Amino acid sequence: MEAFLQELKRSLGSNDDLFEMQYVFLGQVVTLLGYTTLTDISMTVSSLQQQEHNARGSRVGEEAFWHTIGSVHPLSVRLAVSAVLDGQVVLLIEGRTAMIVVDAVQRELTRAIEAPSNESVLQGPIGSFNEDLDTNLGLLRKQACTDSMRVLNYSAGVAQRKRLSLIYDARHADADMVGKMIAQIEANLDREIATTQTLSRMLGFTKWQAISKFNTTELPQEAVSAMTKGKVVILVDRLPIAYVLPNLLWDMFALENDRNYTVPIMIIIRTIRVIGVLLTLLAPAFYVALVAVNPEVLRIEMALSVAVSREGVPYPAIVEMLLMLVILELIIEASARLPKSIGPTLTMVGGIIIGQAVVTARLVSNMLIIILAATTIANSTVVGFQNSLSIRMFKYVTVILAAMFGVLGIMAGMVLLCSYLASLHTFGVSYINLSFKGEIKHG
Amino acid sequence: MGIAKRLVLGFAAVCLAIPLAGCWDNTDINHRVLPVVMGVSKKEGVFRVFLQIPEPGMNRLRIRIVSETGNTITHAVDKISTNMEEHVDLLHVKIILLDKNYAREGVNDSITDFMRAREISSKALVTICDEELPVFFANVKRAMEQRGSTLYDFFEKNAGWNPQIALTRVWQVYRSIHSYTRDVAIPIVRSGKSLMIEHRGSAVIKNGRMVGRLNGDETLLFNAFSGESTQGRIEVMKSASVLIVSNTLHNRIGLRGRTPYMTSVLKLQVVLLETRGNPTNEVIMNELDELLTKRFMTMFQKIQSKQADILGIGQFYRMIIPRERLANWREDYYPRLEMNLRVQTNIQNTGFLNSP
Repeated sequence: MEAFLQELKRSLGSNDDLFEMQYVFLGQVVTLLGYTTLTDISMTVSSLQQQEHNARGSRVGEEAFWHTIGSVHPLSVRLAVSAVLDGQVVLLIEGRTAMIVVDAVQRELTRAIEAPSNESVLQGPIGSFNEDLDTNLGLLRKQACTDSMRVLNYSAGVAQRKRLSLIYDARHADADMVGKMIAQIEANLDREIATTQTLSRMLGFTKWQAISKFNTTELPQEAVSAMTKGKVVILVDRLPIAYVLPNLLWDMFALENDRNYTVPIMIIIRTIRVIGVLLTLLAPAFYVALVAVNPEVLRIEMALSVAVSREGVPYPAIVEMLLMLVILELIIEASARLPKSIGPTLTMVGGIIIGQAVVTARLVSNMLIIILAATTIANSTVVGFQNSLSIRMFKYVTVILAAMFGVLGIMAGMVLLCSYLASLHTFGVSYINLSFKGEIKHG
Repeated sequence: MGIAKRLVLGFAAVCLAIPLAGCWDNTDINHRVLPVVMGVSKKEGVFRVFLQIPEPGMNRLRIRIVSETGNTITHAVDKISTNMEEHVDLLHVKIILLDKNYAREGVNDSITDFMRAREISSKALVTICDEELPVFFANVKRAMEQRGSTLYDFFEKNAGWNPQIALTRVWQVYRSIHSYTRDVAIPIVRSGKSLMIEHRGSAVIKNGRMVGRLNGDETLLFNAFSGESTQGRIEVMKSASVLIVSNTLHNRIGLRGRTPYMTSVLKLQVVLLETRGNPTNEVIMNELDELLTKRFMTMFQKIQSKQADILGIGQFYRMIIPRERLANWREDYYPRLEMNLRVQTNIQNTGFLNSP
């Protein structure tokens, strides 16, 4: 018993927030062990004392009492360590070879359920996932409210043990695909899953994907709708997002929340998103192609006005375009990094540069500013920030090809992009499947 | 293959694509001059090329006319390009203006060269100028700078085009040079006194040579026969004027021995615009039928005598006459063609007044 305590303390290391206290319950001397930073000790002890008092009153035997306050296990250092790290308290009874893992009162270390911070919801359920896995699971249960939802819990990682849950709808999900995923997860439980990158390594995806294999969402509504479409949701403790697998092309354009509007409005909203993606990919490329390579495509009035706007611009169109695109990327990145109170300064300064100064200085044409503004705005219409990043990257492919081969290059770029998208597949499901319902087309 | 190796290979491929693309030859749009009209005349074997270049200023359009001579058109254009600070890009040329005398002489070579070099869009319109090109360009420049418009608006279907104007593209002229059975009509213009330019009917082009002329009214019929949607106004001699709102044509063809015959019914939907006196609808319709039939037959006899098949009637006989004999369509068959045209008009609308 004493030896076990020493060994347990050695494996937990010397930590100042580790507490070890002796109490007497039902005449037995017990030792409580846990982290003060994870557990509320005074609350835990007083709840234990309350239970002891009740046990005395109802004349419950000593053995039965130990079972009411927690789960009784044989002595095991590994189990005790993981219980303590999980914020539970280990109770050791003098002279016995068993330990009790007491479900202690936790310190409040998770924020409340709040509105999503990366996605905004119009006229829809607004509560979003937070860092606590159980809260997130609860949100899913509450949202789905179905008997066919299945939850599988795993604990993965060696250095950092993280909990991971795999949730699917048994009625809709393809058993074959779910089976493959479970096998993959179970085979790789020793991998770390602290970030999306490590999680995708665990699921066996390559690191070099331009498009995320996961569709991420903060909204229980979207996660549940994905489940009813046969997809699988993965939640990781301490990550306030749900990973939806497999990610499909159409997820870039469709939100479940669109269905809170009438059908014509839904169709228009989604069409706008498709236009947004096409505009992001094509507008800068067309500017470069039409200005530098194929001006004959423009109507003469347009050609003349573009020529006037470029009068005195020193660089070729491609340099001009890349210069401004890079500045724009810098602004976007900087505004993501800056604290919210300094953000407006950046927007203002960026607005001055991009808005007027750069045109007045004759560095770029004002036509380019229009194209740039349209591109940036269009870029943001896409559903999901990770998709918007991918599209932002793809536009450079079309721009560079357009600079070399003109309008033909744009077409080549689009063909390249389409063939790349067509080559992607996740657990046997092709990325360009439009709908997931019914028969799954295995790639 | 490892990811790193693949990346290196991909990077190498991109690096190779850049020198192979030849993209350093691209000239930005502000370093090109974009002529809109090109005039070509030929005197004693020497071409003189005029280019009308719009130069957009900050608030008004300026027109610049440059001209140069050369043994070939390309040579002349090259000389202009050398002497200008920017690269001359003929891709935006919308109108090719040919000198009348040059057109009479035959423009086969030039049209063939345009098609061959692809420097000029094959969709560019071909017109003939009824006066000396320097005079025309000087007058047009003066008129256009005041109005800020360009010459080609005159021929744009959504702008200044009228059904009395024939629209013929470079490729159509090229086709007429090589086709056994199709000729073209191209518009004739000159600078106007009060207006920018004046339309002077159409030239009948046979195998690339101008052989005759049509006036505006005849061109309207030609356009109607070719299926160009016409919104043409026709004055009926004594009693009224009408607007054609739609026209359909039905043809029946046949071959009697070596004599082709053709019966065509041209159906016109017209709207009454003006009347003089109190003519009944029947009177107007009959007069219109009579007038148009007569006008068409006059035009047809004119082009038939020149052996120029601008209506493309020979096209209908392509499946009847064997190809070796079709080569002589213009000489053997076409002059013998018996044309029978009936015009049927229907007054669709008498305006907001009841007609008696």
